[in-house]
Amino acid sequence: MTGRLFISCIIRNLPLNKSIKPNYSAYHRFANAYNFETRNFCTKKKPKSLEKKHCNIGTIGHVDHGKTTLTAAITKVLSKDGSSKYVSYDEIDKAPEEKARGITINAAHVGYRTKNRHYAHTDCPGHADYIRNMISGASQMDAAILVVAANDGPMPQTREHLLLAKQVGIKYILVYINKVDLVENDIVELVEIEMREMLSDFGYNGTTTPMILGSALKALNDDESEIGAPSIRKLLDTIDNYVPPIIRDLESPFLMPIDNSFTVPGRGTVVVGTIKRGIMKKNDEAELMGFGFNIKTTLSDIQIFRSSVLEAMAGDNVGVLLRGTKIRSVETGMLLCAAKSITMSNHYKAKIYFLARSEGGRKKPIFSKYSQQMFSGTWNIACRIDLEPSMEMMMPGDHGDVYLTLLEGMVMTEGQPFTIRENNVTVATGIVTETLQSIDVPNGKLGKVVLKI
Amino acid sequence: MKQKIKSSSMMIFQLVRSLHTSPVYRAAESSLLAKLRKKTGYTIANCKKALEMHNNDSEKAEAWLNDQAQAMGWAKATKLAGRKALQGLVAVKFDKNYGALVELNCETDFVAKNEKFQKMLEDATLACYKFAHTNLKSKGPITKMELDSEQLGNLSSDGGKKLSEVLALFIGSVGENAILRRAECWKANSNDVKITAYTHPAPLTAGDYSSGKYGALLAYKQPNDIEDIGKQICQHIVGCAPKKIGDKEKDKPVENSDDETCLIFQEYLLDPSYTVEEVLKKNKVEILDYVRYSCGEALEENMPGVEKQPLDTVQTLQ
Repeated sequence: MTGRLFISCIIRNLPLNKSIKPNYSAYHRFANAYNFETRNFCTKKKPKSLEKKHCNIGTIGHVDHGKTTLTAAITKVLSKDGSSKYVSYDEIDKAPEEKARGITINAAHVGYRTKNRHYAHTDCPGHADYIRNMISGASQMDAAILVVAANDGPMPQTREHLLLAKQVGIKYILVYINKVDLVENDIVELVEIEMREMLSDFGYNGTTTPMILGSALKALNDDESEIGAPSIRKLLDTIDNYVPPIIRDLESPFLMPIDNSFTVPGRGTVVVGTIKRGIMKKNDEAELMGFGFNIKTTLSDIQIFRSSVLEAMAGDNVGVLLRGTKIRSVETGMLLCAAKSITMSNHYKAKIYFLARSEGGRKKPIFSKYSQQMFSGTWNIACRIDLEPSMEMMMPGDHGDVYLTLLEGMVMTEGQPFTIRENNVTVATGIVTETLQSIDVPNGKLGKVVLKI
Repeated sequence: MKQKIKSSSMMIFQLVRSLHTSPVYRAAESSLLAKLRKKTGYTIANCKKALEMHNNDSEKAEAWLNDQAQAMGWAKATKLAGRKALQGLVAVKFDKNYGALVELNCETDFVAKNEKFQKMLEDATLACYKFAHTNLKSKGPITKMELDSEQLGNLSSDGGKKLSEVLALFIGSVGENAILRRAECWKANSNDVKITAYTHPAPLTAGDYSSGKYGALLAYKQPNDIEDIGKQICQHIVGCAPKKIGDKEKDKPVENSDDETCLIFQEYLLDPSYTVEEVLKKNKVEILDYVRYSCGEALEENMPGVEKQPLDTVQTLQ
């Protein structure tokens, strides 16, 4: 048993640093090849600017394990290297509760940049706080740094921290074992083993998760020994390499919400919008969907800044000439997508947050069959909200999973944000999590819908 | 010369020995430590100290840790005592004649989701529920006992330990401040008085114990031959947060029904076309008293009306 433990320590530690880099460089090779291709065949002349890639990161962990110290240390080390502004412990810790969009954001936000990327750093104060910030779009985490102090080891609530990470879909976790100067090496090893076990329990890859040992306090005090500032640099390098950059989705079938439409005399109907994902080519078969309509059409012409192009990709703002489509049948808020790539539905599952009274929300609780106008993107529609059968009611300030039933079929994609307004006041905000089978709305009355939950 | 050879051979011997055995030996030691920690859940530093003190005898170390836990818990609790704890849960336990409502606070809601916290809260609620069974009796239809954190800490839990001791153990384990904030223990003084309770979010299966962010206790009278709506009224109280029951003669309904704070004038939550008063009348319910807790609403300094006095004299007469 002991021999195995010892050997497993070695095996787990060894491939760690090596295994990351090949993947990364492989990615770069792919990216370079791809850029090369687009440069040659793209019809657009406008060159793509080289911007620093952005990444959202956060710290989670026990209150006393040094999350804030680590954040301060990161900015200090980077400020010495000249790429960020130093944010002191007090500034982070005493950050006043911000109020934005009527929703309390009780989280410290710090920005910094490394050589490769720009980071927005969130300190995650609590489970509910994070979820409601996430739903309202105020904070996001692509990756999380789990801070654990070597002298305490994982605490009982570390499980709850990981549970949150899993629940909100954080794919990449790194562990910073803090305060290693307070204990001996064998204890640090033990913390590492326990953390790897726990990560595996929660479905993360416990054996490859990077673990960085150090002392955030020493780093903050400009200590240049291995566990001081260099440990922070190592952490940042690891994040740069371990967390892949977010790329625009060019693989999926194209999708474009319609912002505007007009008629060009003699030619037909043109719809204007920004392509959300995929690549759109001239003469592609397409479908125009929304408000219960599904119109088949073909893209006869695509224009970017008044010049015709053969194709356009995600992020481009385009005007598209649709064959045989009447202007009357196009409404703002409809969606243009590749033929047969998407099904329209009037029934969705979503995560929702009802604003607390102090944030301008409702005063009374919400029950199933709650019907109000829903707003998303450029459109709005009557919508009925039903709670999970296990929930009797939701109080203002609560968040949870709900079922949405729209008066007409609309296309909504996973992660699409929406708000619910009541008498011109926003009372709830949410994101779509799942598209469900369409259900019948008898005589256009949402109150009469029978849910099969 | 001879000595020199001897000492150098010793050195070599030691060097070789340390080369061969020390990693294995250390692995053995840390696996003992790992086992002890997995078994007891105490912090790594304490587990290591225990093993060192007892020459790696894990049984003795465990016994020592359990012995020390209380003292360490107290030390940690004292250290963290000043920190703000506004998260947590409210729990209720009740039957027809007795009811208990307890609020336990902690610093982050991660801890409130942990099973150790849930167990601690359940123990505290059970202790209060038992305390409601004491022989105290006041003149009115119900005997109400309000407890503040000190009085709560003096109650004894199932295992015979004081709640404050259990709480210190809990604080020692999670390393976060926690406070037994307040509690209500109710007893019905006659058979026609009923007690019910509700917490939000409501549990999946209705039982006599539940916990949530909000909780309420309600004492009412209703003839037995009519369908019991105590639970629904209690849900209304949790949902609409009335400030008082209200008196039809003295109080007047406010213009905007959304801002109504008198229970009887509020729109009934489950059917807004009726006021609560109409519902009460229809179902022949008489509300005697209620209390509603919203987790984290009460700060230590502005806790109303609870005076520091010995537990056995605390009772509020209706």
